[in-house]
Amino acid sequence: MHRNSKFTLSFYIIHILVAIGLFAFIAMFTLFAVYAERKVSAFIQDRLGPTETGKFGSLQTLADIVKLLQKELITPAAADKWLFMLAPIIIFVAVYMGFAALPWGPGLVPSQTNIGLYYIFAIISIETLGILMAGWGSNNKFSILGAMRSAAQIISYEIPAGFALISAVMITQTLDLQAAAVQQGILSVEKVKFLGAWDVTHIGGLLSWNIFRAPHLIVAFVIYFIASLAESNRAPFDIPEAESELVSGFHTEYTGLRFAFVFLAEYSMMFLVSMLAVILFLGAWNTPFPNMGVVKLADWTTGAAWGIAWTIIKTLGLVGVQMWIRWTLPRLRIDQLMNLCWKVLTPLAFACMIISGIWRLWVM
Amino acid sequence: MSLVTVMFYLMAIIALGSALYVAASKNLVRSVFMFFVTLFALAGLYVLCLADFVAVTQVVVYVGGILVLILFAFMLSGRESLAGLQQSKNRLFAVQNLPAFLLVTLFFVVLVNIVIMAGVDNLPWLKQAEKMHNVIQPADVTINNLGVNLMTTYLLPFEAISILLLMALVGAAHLARKEEAL
Repeated sequence: MHRNSKFTLSFYIIHILVAIGLFAFIAMFTLFAVYAERKVSAFIQDRLGPTETGKFGSLQTLADIVKLLQKELITPAAADKWLFMLAPIIIFVAVYMGFAALPWGPGLVPSQTNIGLYYIFAIISIETLGILMAGWGSNNKFSILGAMRSAAQIISYEIPAGFALISAVMITQTLDLQAAAVQQGILSVEKVKFLGAWDVTHIGGLLSWNIFRAPHLIVAFVIYFIASLAESNRAPFDIPEAESELVSGFHTEYTGLRFAFVFLAEYSMMFLVSMLAVILFLGAWNTPFPNMGVVKLADWTTGAAWGIAWTIIKTLGLVGVQMWIRWTLPRLRIDQLMNLCWKVLTPLAFACMIISGIWRLWVM
Repeated sequence: MSLVTVMFYLMAIIALGSALYVAASKNLVRSVFMFFVTLFALAGLYVLCLADFVAVTQVVVYVGGILVLILFAFMLSGRESLAGLQQSKNRLFAVQNLPAFLLVTLFFVVLVNIVIMAGVDNLPWLKQAEKMHNVIQPADVTINNLGVNLMTTYLLPFEAISILLLMALVGAAHLARKEEAL
């Protein structure tokens, strides 16, 4: 590669700062999300949730993390020490690396690559390896059962998730997530049509989001959302850590900071999959408000700061739905899980892909 | 030394070191996990060759697919049978390993010979492409080209492979099926 002016010291410093900033954001989000999860579950089950620590119990998760940091790191005598120690790090780093390719606003993306989506899909699959490592390294039958279930589930649900993503990619015609984001608003350089008929290139807003550019993507979005619940091991797909059967699955033996890392990975995975859904289906960082005559709502609410705000609002909305579902639906049995994946979601995702092809060729 | 050269040597050392561990380790499961490091370092080398699509495919296919499959086989077989496998006393330098060593050495000599004879730095078509600026830049999009080529020049091999995979799928489904009572 040529030594061009782009690769100066400040270039590297900015990249390192962005990475640290993302990590700080993920950590803060996890603290907030654990608290929200407890309050949401308490509301749904007609309880109070945490109330003692801080106003409305808002400092509860902070107290929890301080407690976790102080705890002893116990390694079981019969465990494979290296695998046991490294597994939580691999699980977290796999998810964390996925954030590198996600755009936050116009011109704001940690690393713009032309295969961003494919990269995220690949890097997430490393999490499975970390889970298997944790299960095997713990040398505990509950852990191993949990790890096996988790891997089987993640691999199966990658198929409908993948095809739902492909049907969105066939509409956007790019794997670069920033390019896919730009297409869904007033900054688009190509023509955007609402339902394939009405030119909304300069109107923007809700009307130019992918799910309204091609309405079958609503189905694809729902398929992806269900599959992403399974990929992040959330209820109703939480058989890998089914607490009534397996204690807590693959992370049964973990204590202290290592346990915190597993938890951090689970919550950052929730944010990652929700953000990916927002970028590909729900207009990424674009505003939901259209331009209406002289009231240029879309023009007023598009920009770098607005972009970050919209991304976070939409993603937190989806995370909220994930929590709502977790505390509403009962856990699926393994055969129901596989039936849903192979007999319902996969054929539907295939149908979406075919419609995408037809839509791109003859309607758009 | 530029950063790319440093990265290349780093990746090469990681790949070779982890591959040696995979081959030499007595602990089979650790070998499999170390193999993951080898594959990841290889993916890094592909990125340095500006073949980022190949690099990501490497991770998807080998890490997400094949490694997980191998681990499944391990976990279903249980610790006792694995312990039996690991107790075989294979020393690295033993008489029965002599043919293997001979073969490896000869193969290595042949490989080095080929690299020296080919003179990869001075190939005429490479020189010509460089002169005409017919080279891939880091920011180029390569996937469109890949897709077009798969659907035109390499359509027959592509279809043949897909039929082969379909056959494997049908075969696997047939094998996994419960046999009906006769």
